[in-house]
Amino acid sequence: MQPDRRQLLQSLIAAAAAGAVITPDRALAGAAPADWTVGVADVEGDIAPQAMRRIGGRAPVDFGGSLYRNGPAKFRRGTSAAGHWFDGDGMMRRFAVNDGAATLTARFADTPKRRLETSLNRIVIPGFGTAQGEGARMNNNDDANSANTSVMMLGGELLALWEGGSAVRMDPDDLATIGFKTFRRDLKHMPFSAHPRVEPDGTVWNFGGGGSNAGLWRIAADGTLRDWTNIKLPRRSYFHDFSMTARHIIIVLQPWLQEAFAFPLSTAMKWRPEQGTQIMVIDKDDLTRQRIYELPAFAAFHYGDGWEESDGTIRFDGCLEADPTFGQTAASALLRGEHIRSPQPTLTQIVLHPGGNASMLSTGIAAEFPVSDRRLAGYRRRLTTHVTGYRDTPFPHAIAAWDWQRGRDDRYDFGSHQLVEEFQYVPGRSADEREGWLIGTTLNMTANATELHLLRADAVARGPVASWRANVALPIAFHGTFVGA
Amino acid sequence: MNILTRLIAATMLSLPAMTAGALAQDPAPSSRLTVTFDKIAEPTGQIMFVVFDSEEAFDRGGKPVRAIVVPVDAASETTIIEGLPAGRYGIKAFHDIDSDGKMSSNPYGMPTEPFAFSNNAVGNMGPAKWADAAFDVRGAVTHSIAF
Repeated sequence: MQPDRRQLLQSLIAAAAAGAVITPDRALAGAAPADWTVGVADVEGDIAPQAMRRIGGRAPVDFGGSLYRNGPAKFRRGTSAAGHWFDGDGMMRRFAVNDGAATLTARFADTPKRRLETSLNRIVIPGFGTAQGEGARMNNNDDANSANTSVMMLGGELLALWEGGSAVRMDPDDLATIGFKTFRRDLKHMPFSAHPRVEPDGTVWNFGGGGSNAGLWRIAADGTLRDWTNIKLPRRSYFHDFSMTARHIIIVLQPWLQEAFAFPLSTAMKWRPEQGTQIMVIDKDDLTRQRIYELPAFAAFHYGDGWEESDGTIRFDGCLEADPTFGQTAASALLRGEHIRSPQPTLTQIVLHPGGNASMLSTGIAAEFPVSDRRLAGYRRRLTTHVTGYRDTPFPHAIAAWDWQRGRDDRYDFGSHQLVEEFQYVPGRSADEREGWLIGTTLNMTANATELHLLRADAVARGPVASWRANVALPIAFHGTFVGA
Repeated sequence: MNILTRLIAATMLSLPAMTAGALAQDPAPSSRLTVTFDKIAEPTGQIMFVVFDSEEAFDRGGKPVRAIVVPVDAASETTIIEGLPAGRYGIKAFHDIDSDGKMSSNPYGMPTEPFAFSNNAVGNMGPAKWADAAFDVRGAVTHSIAF
């Protein structure tokens, strides 16, 4: 074969492969086992309530409730595509378990962004890694709101969360979009991040904004706004999550710094490891009382709840990466079907000593999407549930619970044909966190279907006690919450 | 995504500070413009709006030919402007829900009160442009703007 002809064929095959990656019906065809790109495939419309088929085990009769999960599920329109995994339209999924049976409902958040892009059949609204396209119309930050990152139940309202704008109210039963949440008129459109932290009594703390300012929200369990306070930050760090103890707010200012005003946002952020990581600790009772700790540079998206000891030592965990390659480039490449290897996120305990020094204790365990027992939020606990088992795909294949007391990871690997998503912790009958449940989802590439699994928190390695399968494959979502029956 | 907020706020629409009051009255009244504001979400406060007669004034912060305040107590409000010379005009309006005479904004500078433009034109990270908002006034004309 002549070289130029071979090149032509190769480029045609490459083009065909690229086409396959971005063709949503491939994800739904089911003829052949899907590859990991099913995890970032498009969903064309809402999923009407459907019964899930029980494929193994049996749920305890007294286990009931709804697992809500949110994540991007529409990335491509016409010949255009989002430039980053974080920028797809949010789709809320509800997995309801009742009397041993499970049902799935999923609906897109009906946002101005989604409406405009549907009418244009083009991705035009800029985002974390997406450039602005022709026809974009934004008159406030909520016009760019994709409502795609997390979900919480607050004061009886189901809220789809993003980080650059308002929460979006949705009907907890049928997931219909109600509209943007405004906690107080003068705070309309103020960013309400996707990582609120909730005290055991239901009090919610959240941040919003960034750059040199972060707004700190404090909301009562019934959804009433207590106060909103602007906090001046010492650097323009990008942060997606924060940590909290019973007495303190902890904001980790990684040296991934916003150095320009530009779209896409990720291109305006530069990695400056020589500047190290700063950790800002704020007294909940007096927000003007602030301390800064210094650590060597690391990047991270997610942290766990923290606690403090009697001598004032603060401990909290995070999934730390050597640098932000994942957020900068790898998460964009996913949408093109490319797997760029990025530093492993590693479950690490950060210790802030009363003398002003800070240190890090790495477990060496690959971990993301940390979750723990919310009854213990702000207090010493044993377990951090996390996804793990990163191998040949960009997505993890296992779920695990790390025991801080025993220094041991209790883990179940679903196999290389399964992509594992965040699991939620659900309390059991007693106050012992080990007696709880883990409930979460996987994307089965062989069956080309999303599955729901229930495991015992104290026996993760034994695998699911009950599993159900949907008749649809939904792309990988980010975060969820469990609301008991 | 916090930059987004500030980026938009920084370039966000700057309605000129508006006060009710006499501006240049045309000596040769010739038209009657009826302006209806619809889809008012909260039937309270007032609508403040300004009328421009040129692209220069509309797009580049020039002086309006009228500045008008309409009290709001329903989902739709109508006002009549007499005496505009025949020609092309553009309107910038906002619903001053709290009647403080200002377009309120949140702590990051994002407007929190509804605003609208003639022709229901929509801007992108700023006010609508004259090219989209301008309309003809000749004789008796009715123009509707939805919030």
